[in-house]
Amino acid sequence: MEQDAQLVQQCLQGDGSAWEELVRRHTRRIFNICYRFTGNRTESEDLSQDVFLRVYRTLGSYRSAHGGFATWMTSVTRNLLIDHYRRTKRDRITDSLEDKMPAVENKESAGRRPDEQALLGELSGQVQSALTRLSPELREAVILRDLQQLEYSEIQQVLAVPEGTVKSRINRGRIELARILQHMGVRPS
Amino acid sequence: MNWTCELTEARLSDYLDGLFQPAEQSAFNLHVNTCERCAPLVAGVAHALGGLYALEQVEAPAQLENAILTATLGAPSWRNLRRWLKSLRSPRFVYSMASVAATIVVILTASGFSFRKPKLADLHPATIYSKADRQAHRVYAQSAKFVSDLRVVYEIQTRLNENDQNPATREQTIPQASPNKQPGRTDNTNPSAPKQQNRADETGRNLRVLASQFPVLSGSIGERRVP
Repeated sequence: MEQDAQLVQQCLQGDGSAWEELVRRHTRRIFNICYRFTGNRTESEDLSQDVFLRVYRTLGSYRSAHGGFATWMTSVTRNLLIDHYRRTKRDRITDSLEDKMPAVENKESAGRRPDEQALLGELSGQVQSALTRLSPELREAVILRDLQQLEYSEIQQVLAVPEGTVKSRINRGRIELARILQHMGVRPS
Repeated sequence: MNWTCELTEARLSDYLDGLFQPAEQSAFNLHVNTCERCAPLVAGVAHALGGLYALEQVEAPAQLENAILTATLGAPSWRNLRRWLKSLRSPRFVYSMASVAATIVVILTASGFSFRKPKLADLHPATIYSKADRQAHRVYAQSAKFVSDLRVVYEIQTRLNENDQNPATREQTIPQASPNKQPGRTDNTNPSAPKQQNRADETGRNLRVLASQFPVLSGSIGERRVP
C-alpha cells in the first residue's frame, strides 16, 4: 500500500515507469471487478481502460492520508461501473426481451459435464450469471465483500455509505443471489 | 432467546461471517433446525457464497496493459523514447559519458591532435596512427633515458657510500700535507679545498669505473662534466 503511494508520488513527478508499474499491479484486479459486475469481457476491457484513464487524469487528487490507493481506485471503478450501468440500462432491457433464458442454457449444459471440475466450472458460470442479475447496489456490495475480500470499512469508503448500510446490502445481496440461483435451478446438493 | 424468521434473514451475514455470540448462535441453530422456511434459506445462501468463493480470478487480456499505457502515456515508441531520454539524466550515464569524453581527449592529445587548430585530416586513422606511433616512440625513448640516468645516479650514490664506509680506501685518498706548507696558509698548489678535491677525485674515479662496467651508458656519462 505504501509502495502504491510512493509510485503515485513518482507519477506526479512525471515518472512514466512508475505509472507503468501501477498499471501492472492493478490491471487484473480492476478487470476482475469490471468483469464480475458486467459479465462481459469486452465491456470489462473497455471499462478497465476508462478506469485507468480517469485515475491517470485525477491522480493529483489522491490523498494517501484518506485511505489506500487500491481503495481509491476501487471507488473510481465503482463510480464508472454505476455510470456504465445507467447508460446501458435501456440496451439491457431490449436485450433481455430478445434473449431471455440464459438459465435454460446452463441447465442443459449441466448434464454434459459429469466430472467435478466441470461442475465447478458450471457453477461458476451460473453464479456469474446470477451475479449480473442482482441490482447494481447489491451487486457491487457482494463483489467487493465476497470476491474482492474488502473489509466493511473499506467498502464503506468505496460506496460512501454508512457501515450499517454496507452490512445490510451485503446481507440482502447474498440472499438475493441465493434466490436467483434457486430460480435458475441451482440448488445445494 | 426467542429467534424468528425475520431475525434469520436480517442477521444471516453475521452468522456466515461468524459474528454471533454463543447465546445467539444457540438460538439461531435451534430455530433453523426446526424451521421449514429458514433451513433452505440458510443452505441456499451458504451454497451461493461457496459459489462466489469458487469463482477464480479471470486473467485480463494480454493487450489490456498496453492499451491502457498507450491511452495514458502514448504509443510504445514514444514511451521508449521518453524512457531513453530520462535515462540520459541518470548519474550512471553522465559518469559513463564523462569517462568516454576524457578517454577521447587523452587519445586525441596523445595522437598529436591540435584542439586550437583542428583539422579534419588530423582525424584520419593513418594520421592518428603515425602520430601516436611517433609519440609512443618519443615517450619510450625519454622514459628509457630517464631510467638510465636514475641507474647511474644510484650507482654513484652506492659507490660513494661504500667509500665513506671503507677506511682503507679513504686513507688512500687523503692528501699528504706539504712539508713546506705553513699551518693555516695555502701554497696555491691545490686551488680547491682539500676535502672538495678529494671528493671530486673520488667521483671521477667512480665514473670511470662505471663507464667501464656499463659501456652503453658511457656516452651519457661522458657528457657529464667531470669535476
